[in-house]
Amino acid sequence: MSVPVSQMWAVASYVMKQKLTGRKRYPLVLMLEPLFRCNLACAGCGKIQYPAQILRKHLTVEQCLAAVDECGAPVVSIPGGEPLMYPDIGRLVETLVARRKYVYLCTNAILLKEKLEAGLFTPSKYFSFSVHLDGLRAEHDEAVCRNGVYVQAVEGIKEALRRGFRVTTNSTLFDGVSPLRMREFFDEMMDLGVEGMMISPGYSYSKAPDQEHFLRTQRAHDLFSAILSNPNRRWRFNQSPLFLQFLMGKQDFECTPWGNPTYNVFGWQRPCYLLQEGYAASFTELLETTRWENYGRRSGNEKCRDCMVHCGYEPTAVNHTFASWRGFRDTVHATVTGRF
Amino acid sequence: MSLEAVVDKAFDYRGNVTVVKTDGSETVGYLFNRNRDVPVPFVQMFDVNGAGPYTISYLEIRTIRFTGRDTAAGQSYAAWLRAKEAAKGALHAEKDSGRTPPRDA
Ligand code: SF4
Ligand code: SF4
Repeated sequence: MSVPVSQMWAVASYVMKQKLTGRKRYPLVLMLEPLFRCNLACAGCGKIQYPAQILRKHLTVEQCLAAVDECGAPVVSIPGGEPLMYPDIGRLVETLVARRKYVYLCTNAILLKEKLEAGLFTPSKYFSFSVHLDGLRAEHDEAVCRNGVYVQAVEGIKEALRRGFRVTTNSTLFDGVSPLRMREFFDEMMDLGVEGMMISPGYSYSKAPDQEHFLRTQRAHDLFSAILSNPNRRWRFNQSPLFLQFLMGKQDFECTPWGNPTYNVFGWQRPCYLLQEGYAASFTELLETTRWENYGRRSGNEKCRDCMVHCGYEPTAVNHTFASWRGFRDTVHATVTGRF
Repeated sequence: MSLEAVVDKAFDYRGNVTVVKTDGSETVGYLFNRNRDVPVPFVQMFDVNGAGPYTISYLEIRTIRFTGRDTAAGQSYAAWLRAKEAAKGALHAEKDSGRTPPRDA
């Protein structure tokens, strides 16, 4: 695993503290969306499908910091939209780093080189760029519906690494992806020198009979097993090994959506990063008034039945690590051996 | 259609709507929230200039008109796959799966 020891320790001690205080639901990663605007228009992206006045809006740094303080999660992920288009992104990151939050800036990297050259950011162990790459050049450019984006992203990654920044990648895998090409992509990212990779299946929702749901889940397990079984020793993942085992069908987890709460210009999103069933005015209200029993794969909610997405299940995996000796042992074993 | 159903439809709609109030006034904008699990159910919206959020109780709403362009229409990932498949001359494509979240989080 590639998560730095100091970050692992910060997260581990935070989780232990939550457990010791008997807190049943706690956040691990705050998904902070300062804006929905983006310089790409990937097919089907729900984040950019808003009227113009909403796309023009963004949170103030003060609103962002108030959300970070109220939530208290040790890790803050800044997706969007495209956060490099947020006018105050430099100040926001700098302030969060000063507060010792581990910050992941999730970017399509089109503007990365330009912003680095403008001196907007300073390298820190608390700060990582998380570059969106859904595969090798052909696959990624197709996924984002624009040629040349992969090359721009790779240039941005190289520049960030050259300047001493932490760089990770995040990839969403949809049905039909080639396991072999994905393995080649992992090799290429390691050759580039990124710290680690994050992967997650895409989210799709359609009403279907039980058998079809079962087949979809099975297909996802088969896909991730084909990709991750017999991993190259060089590969490093910036995420819980138990979550990767879950994707392969080796762990049976339930969703814990409060682990990755989402805050944006509308407020605190219910119940998770994917579904928008309403907004709460505060994190406390989100925790206390969301009907959590209506969500997760076992809830019977059609929208959740095929979901294996990281924002719902990675916090479960992290919690599992500290919930039992078996969870801890499995995590240590996968971390040390690099096998899932 | 009941008021609750109209509000739900407006909440799911990715375009501007016009909320017509019982006093005859109208608010045009994006309806982003609705909550029925409170003593006084309400909706929240940003107007066409992005000002707000304005909170309007269900009791004040006479009806809602869908006056703005639906920014999600035909934009789902499944629709894109369908178009791609169609371009390749494929005969079958999966059913629309609705909104898709961003792929870079
Ligand atoms: S199962 Fe997926 S869609 Fe449902 S609440 Fe969890 S993360 Fe959201
Ligand atoms: S880069 Fe991300 S936010 Fe922008 S359109 Fe693509 S998926 Fe959506």
